[in-house]
Amino acid sequence: MRRFAGSYFGRLSFFIVFGFVLFLASNRVDELRVYQGATVAMYVVAIASLILLTGYSGQVSLGHGALLAIGGYSATLARNHFSAPIWLCFVVAVLATALFGAVLGTAAARLSGPYLAGSTLALAVGLPSIANQFNILGGEQGLLFDVGAPPASLGADFTQYKWYFWIAALAALIAIWWLQNILRSRFGRTWRAVRSNEVAAELAGIHVGKSKTLAFTVSSGLAGLAGALLAMTISTVSPSAFPLTLSFALLTGAVLSGVTTLSGVMIGALVLVATPDIADAISSRFASSENVTTNLPGLLVSTLLILVVLLVPNGPVEQMRTLRTRKSTKKTR
Amino acid sequence: MIEINRRKLLVASAVLATGGLVLSTVPAQAFSPHSEVGVTNSSIKLGVTLPMTGAASPGYNKLPSAMKAYFDYVNANGGVNGRQITLVVKDDQYVPTLAVAKTNELILKDKVFALLAPLGTANVKAVAASVNPGRRGIPTLFVNTGYSGFANKKAYPTTFTLLPSYIVEAKIIAQYISENFAGKKIGLLYQDDDFGSDALAGFKQAGLTFTVKVPYASGTQALPTVPPTWIQKLSAANVDVVILFGVSSATAAALGTAAVMKYAPKWILGSVGGDATTIKAVGVPAGVLYGATGASFLPATTDNADEYVKLFTTINAKYNNNAVFDNNVMVGMNTAYVAVQALAAAGKNLTRKGLIAAIEKSGAKFASAGLVPLNFSTTSHVGYSGYWFGTYGPSGDLKPNGGVYTVYTTDSGTGAVVKSTYKRPAMPADGLPTQS
Repeated sequence: MRRFAGSYFGRLSFFIVFGFVLFLASNRVDELRVYQGATVAMYVVAIASLILLTGYSGQVSLGHGALLAIGGYSATLARNHFSAPIWLCFVVAVLATALFGAVLGTAAARLSGPYLAGSTLALAVGLPSIANQFNILGGEQGLLFDVGAPPASLGADFTQYKWYFWIAALAALIAIWWLQNILRSRFGRTWRAVRSNEVAAELAGIHVGKSKTLAFTVSSGLAGLAGALLAMTISTVSPSAFPLTLSFALLTGAVLSGVTTLSGVMIGALVLVATPDIADAISSRFASSENVTTNLPGLLVSTLLILVVLLVPNGPVEQMRTLRTRKSTKKTR
Repeated sequence: MIEINRRKLLVASAVLATGGLVLSTVPAQAFSPHSEVGVTNSSIKLGVTLPMTGAASPGYNKLPSAMKAYFDYVNANGGVNGRQITLVVKDDQYVPTLAVAKTNELILKDKVFALLAPLGTANVKAVAASVNPGRRGIPTLFVNTGYSGFANKKAYPTTFTLLPSYIVEAKIIAQYISENFAGKKIGLLYQDDDFGSDALAGFKQAGLTFTVKVPYASGTQALPTVPPTWIQKLSAANVDVVILFGVSSATAAALGTAAVMKYAPKWILGSVGGDATTIKAVGVPAGVLYGATGASFLPATTDNADEYVKLFTTINAKYNNNAVFDNNVMVGMNTAYVAVQALAAAGKNLTRKGLIAAIEKSGAKFASAGLVPLNFSTTSHVGYSGYWFGTYGPSGDLKPNGGVYTVYTTDSGTGAVVKSTYKRPAMPADGLPTQS
């Protein structure tokens, strides 16, 4: 039993049970929650991608929004120009973004700290506006990305948003399950070794550059998937769908989740989705100015970010783990 | 490590399993409520998305308070069939993706009965694709865009337009140019999306050719370096007449930059951007606007002899904090005015289907401030389809050329531009619709 729970099949069955619960939940809650659930799933993938890059491989990205844009646009182009089936669009998004990430990662492996942060930031600022230069990308107005209505076999009451949720939740479950496994593999150990001490890792025979590039590629692939999911939930891609604030929001989500571990990834995603709602509730009660309503979510998220960095720098999950370990050591004493 | 994982997994699985069992006992929510969404015996909830902040917001952000002012006036007089109207306003910053998110909120969270006057071609299109009010049967009344495609009943079954389409406007402007500026060199500034391409289609159909066409990407008008490039291109082409077919903020940027660069062709302003208050609000001297040509389908805001202008001015003073009475206020109030007619026509048993049917049945006879007829019918979801031309005075107010409203009408197809003989019916008593 012990071996089973920690094993490959244990994790697999955990994800299957979790998926089944999500499936049940999607039939019981109202449409708004289902739609928000799809957005949470999208954020889970995006934040996991960032945690992998930052927490496990020690590289910083301030420009993840740009990678999401590549995923979103490639899925859309595959759909609109080659009428690709929807699952293939997601595969294309993952592969195209991973390819881009591999190229970018080669350069990124040579950069570190503020230089890497700066260049990824520049990417987030510049890349989405490329869409304005080429007609095929639809300019500022963007392109429509239509995954189509849910299959008729699911019944007439099956809403579009539930369909989005099913797709997004399934994609997220598969992505996180796969990521869990890769992090426990040789690659995961290599990345952590490089993050902890590059010189020691190199002495142990690890090719640091290769390892970093691979992490960047995998992370990009996941970001591409998130981008395609984002495009699906809003049915369009346009430069304004991937603003700089998206990159920052993802980074905030990663910090809130705890960058050093994947297990808190839901926390950041939930906070990002819930914040506008909370801000809305506050502003509708206390203020009527549009500027307050527009800026309050950003203010809340930023405040939360500062608090987390000050109080629980490793994220809530890691903090709880530390607390528990402390308690148990006290007991044994 | 393994032990912690095992315990964690077991606990998590137990929680999940219990959660799953609990969830499966909760009855599925009934999605077909007994009464219509957003309507009670005493209230009707409507929703709008439009730019309240951001580059494109100047001018347009005056629309909601004007609409609300007319609704307040109606509410104070007993509402529509005893129901008070509320309007939920969401800021989309003229960004399509935000429009989608905000419309979702309106429909799923605020549970509005219908969408009223959502603004922006790209925004309404994105919403139609993603939120799909058409498939959900949610009326999208009087979209605040002139994109001709929204008249397509098949693609947008629950959408009604109010503004004349950009094709109609372009055809009429082309007619005006052929009557007044035949043989002159013409330049055009337009928004590089469906809003602009609709106008281009209209100009093309009317056979108007341009010496120079300057496109701009939505939002770039707010960048200080961009508007000077427009003026350079226009001035380099040495054109006599320039048509500004952009949003108010872009028109203001063009005129302001032209004033600084001492560039003064004959300006013709499209109805979307021909808003003097916005232009003046961003610091462009009124002198630039003086003598420019503009178009409108409503009476001039300064026409105090007009009964609708009188009514709206009174309502503006009482319910809208006496805001500057400009074309935005006029458009907002008139949109609300037509919406109230539609709600009243749908009768006491108000449903979404009934509202759509009522507009199709009697929409052509709705009272409105418009000087051109409404074209609603079972086969047409098109509102107004005509314009009159005027000249901006020294204070920036548009007045009809020669002191009379000479109205031209046409359609978005191949129809000819004709001088209209339409006589607007008298306003119902106190500007309140007769109720069933």
